[in-house]
Amino acid sequence: MSASRTKRWRAPLASVSVFVGLWYGLAYSLDNNFASSDGSALIVPPPHKLFEGLNTRTVERIATATGISVATAFTGLIIAVVLGSALGLFMASARAVERAIWPWLIAVQVTPVIVLTPIIVRIFGPSFAARVFVTVVVAFFPIASNVLFGVRSIPQSWRDLFVLRGASRAVTIRELWIPASLPSFFAGLRISAGLAVIGSIVGDFFFTRGDAGLGRLINYFFLDTRSGPMFVTALIASFVGFGFFGVAGLLRKLFVDPWHKP
Amino acid sequence: MLSITAVSHSFNGAPAITDVSLTVQPGEIVAIVGPSGCGKSTLLRIAASLLSPDAGEVHTTGARLGYIFQEPALLPWLRVRDNATLLADAASDAPFVESLLARAGLTEHRDKWPHELSGGMKMRLSLVRTMAARPSVVLADEPFGALDQITRHHLHDELLALHSTQPFAMVLVTHAIDEAVYLADRVLTMSPAPGRITATTTVPLARPRHAGLRYDANFAAVCGKVAASLTAAGA
Repeated sequence: MSASRTKRWRAPLASVSVFVGLWYGLAYSLDNNFASSDGSALIVPPPHKLFEGLNTRTVERIATATGISVATAFTGLIIAVVLGSALGLFMASARAVERAIWPWLIAVQVTPVIVLTPIIVRIFGPSFAARVFVTVVVAFFPIASNVLFGVRSIPQSWRDLFVLRGASRAVTIRELWIPASLPSFFAGLRISAGLAVIGSIVGDFFFTRGDAGLGRLINYFFLDTRSGPMFVTALIASFVGFGFFGVAGLLRKLFVDPWHKP
Repeated sequence: MLSITAVSHSFNGAPAITDVSLTVQPGEIVAIVGPSGCGKSTLLRIAASLLSPDAGEVHTTGARLGYIFQEPALLPWLRVRDNATLLADAASDAPFVESLLARAGLTEHRDKWPHELSGGMKMRLSLVRTMAARPSVVLADEPFGALDQITRHHLHDELLALHSTQPFAMVLVTHAIDEAVYLADRVLTMSPAPGRITATTTVPLARPRHAGLRYDANFAAVCGKVAASLTAAGA
């Protein structure tokens, strides 16, 4: 690792240290944070006591919940990508289409997921499909709007080039619209990847039947006043979000960064 | 080859060009000079059928149109070689495109991305892309405007060399008088908006033309004539 790469890690490492420091500070400044009987954490477990309350059964539950949430977020994100891209391209094809669809997208976007979820669960029942549906609703907007923006930003000369080529609509979409909108698509994907995880976890609170995802499990540990497992679950949820975000960034690095220099 | 008859066009009620007529013979290079905003680009877009005029007609019987944009307009996600063949007819043209790339000094850069090229190389590639389609009429919209003078003069000579081996008619829009005179057989002067053609200057300079011509008294005299016509047009 070169000196400059080591340097790059200094700032994030420093901020993680500060975070851990604050965490310890909070854990030891709270009144009655530790049980007088065995010293176990009651409210905020300090980092080294995080895994104290974990038994095999709890670990299994967290693993299952993580699986459900990851599967939900992933499936939802894939559908959001397909649907969002298609919608973005469709809106870009004509102003009238954009004007007809755009207000609906805004309406869906500004309605809190917590409001939409009960409606979706009422309609679809507490199924996997309903979980995925919630995730799609939360995640597709940044992709649709970024693809639309990407196509709208194509320089006139590139458009002229395809007219002069005598390219059909299909060729123009495939060879101009899609590649030209890739950079903004990936900007949208990074946001959507995070939103998909949030959507799958927030939506999960309403699924009172079937296996619990991370959202419901956090709620369960909360009601059961088991701080350790609750914190572990919360950390895993944020790591899942990190992972999705990271994969989106990696795909961008692979498919766009070689040729795209803004 | 290309004939434009009494073409007028306005944008949102503001006339851009009025009653412009222009005929270009096969192999002829016609330059249009005029101040910025006089409708030169509008005229070219109309000639290329990228814009339909409010009035007048454009005929391009049997012509294969090529268009060179103000900026290189390369597609950033295609490598140099793929940008070069974008407008070429078929795979059978590959050797021809390779020869154009070689002439432009781009062979060793063929696997690069456009953003890795210098400004001059980008414009050369743009030229290669247009020529790869074997156009009989080339419409060029201030193609060298963004380049430094040394690069611009190199490209003038490369363009003339291409023209002598693969003759094409050309309408060159520019605001550089010396460029117009160096390249063209005829220079048309356009007035400020709404653009009209106010003067035609024939360039009585023999071909092939070489860089030394720029310091020739005859060359200066023609430039002076064009400059005077621009002043007369109110530019």
